Amino acid sequence: MSFHWESLVLGLIAFAILYWLLSKYAFDPLFSIMEKRRELVQQQLTEASNTREQAIGYVEEQKAALQQARQQAYDIIEQSKQTSGKQAAQIVDLAKNEATRLKDDAVRDIQNEKNKAVEQLRSEVGIASVKIASKLLEKEVKEDNVQEELVDQYLKEVGGKS
Amino acid sequence: MHESPIIKLGGLNIDLAIVIMLVVTCTIVFVLARLGTRRLSVENPGKMQNFMEWVVEFVLGLISSTMDLKKGKPFLKLGMTLIMFIFVGNMLGLPFSLVTEYSQVDKAQIFGHPLVTVVDALDKAHASNPGGEHIEVGVAWWKSPTADASVAMGLALMVFVLSNGLGIIKNPRNYFKHYLQPYPFFLPINLIEQFSKLLTQGMRLFGNIFAGEVLISVLIKLSALGVVGTIGSVLGLVVWQGFSIFVGSIQAFVFTILTMVYLSQALETHDEH
Repeated sequence: MSFHWESLVLGLIAFAILYWLLSKYAFDPLFSIMEKRRELVQQQLTEASNTREQAIGYVEEQKAALQQARQQAYDIIEQSKQTSGKQAAQIVDLAKNEATRLKDDAVRDIQNEKNKAVEQLRSEVGIASVKIASKLLEKEVKEDNVQEELVDQYLKEVGGKS
Repeated sequence: MHESPIIKLGGLNIDLAIVIMLVVTCTIVFVLARLGTRRLSVENPGKMQNFMEWVVEFVLGLISSTMDLKKGKPFLKLGMTLIMFIFVGNMLGLPFSLVTEYSQVDKAQIFGHPLVTVVDALDKAHASNPGGEHIEVGVAWWKSPTADASVAMGLALMVFVLSNGLGIIKNPRNYFKHYLQPYPFFLPINLIEQFSKLLTQGMRLFGNIFAGEVLISVLIKLSALGVVGTIGSVLGLVVWQGFSIFVGSIQAFVFTILTMVYLSQALETHDEH
């Protein structure tokens, strides 16, 4: 074994030159490429997480839209149920009114007919009574002109009243 | 043992094997890294890019296991260069070695410069045994750069300077306080600890790899003992080379994680307490 400081210095110089060469021509490009890759991976990760967040947002939106549509459908059904119920009630009411009206009409008609009949009966009874009375009176009126005048007068009165 | 091919150049002892192996190691590491980062793609990385990214993740794991990742991020490049350099360096000494033998002083030279260590060894051998038998001195040209104490200690020294310097500049209060903890009279022990960190980190790497190469050369020499020796040598080499790959990987890992541990100790702020 021998020790020479010249060899030591030579070794150091060689190492320094190697360090400089490697640093300039090998390590710097390599490190920059590795850094670029790290950035690329980072960027892709960020993108992926962004996309995922967006997807979650879309799903939430879809869910909300679906919920809204369901709510609307429910409302429509509910509304139509209500309107149909109302319509049924209206129809029933209408029918009831109609029936009442028809009944009232009928009752009024009956009343009218009755009144007419009563009127007619009364006039017929009047005529008949006059006829009966004239028949009864004929005998006596023939004998007396004064009485005839009286009867006429009464008849006039009756006729005026009826 | 083989000698190192050292020449004198302007008063400096230049170890040619170290120069060659440092250049080879740096070239291989750089080519590997360039292959791994040639056609970079964010979405469709190739096999080599995946491998490089695995290395990045691995070193990041080492850093985050010792300190806050935010604080340790600047050391990522250091850790990656360290682990790749040491691993490739450790592996280089395993597959083969290149040895030249010299027996005459005037032939032991390259590009007109004498190989100092060979000349010394030959002179010494001739002096102790004048006119004796034929002497040959082997010179190893190919070995792990980390199997040299100077290079391993150089790396450890770099970590030592870096961790202590960062501690002093960025974290002076806690850095100086920790020398007096838990009691002021622990100061010498803490100082020794700092230097033992330097020594153990460098020597551990050097020792493991150097010992591995020594055993490999010993096993190769075993083949000189005839047929039985050759069989034993081949079997031993198979086992030991496999184990050396394991040891080399472990040492690269250990050196890198120790670097991170020392840095994190120097930058510790105790804010959370």
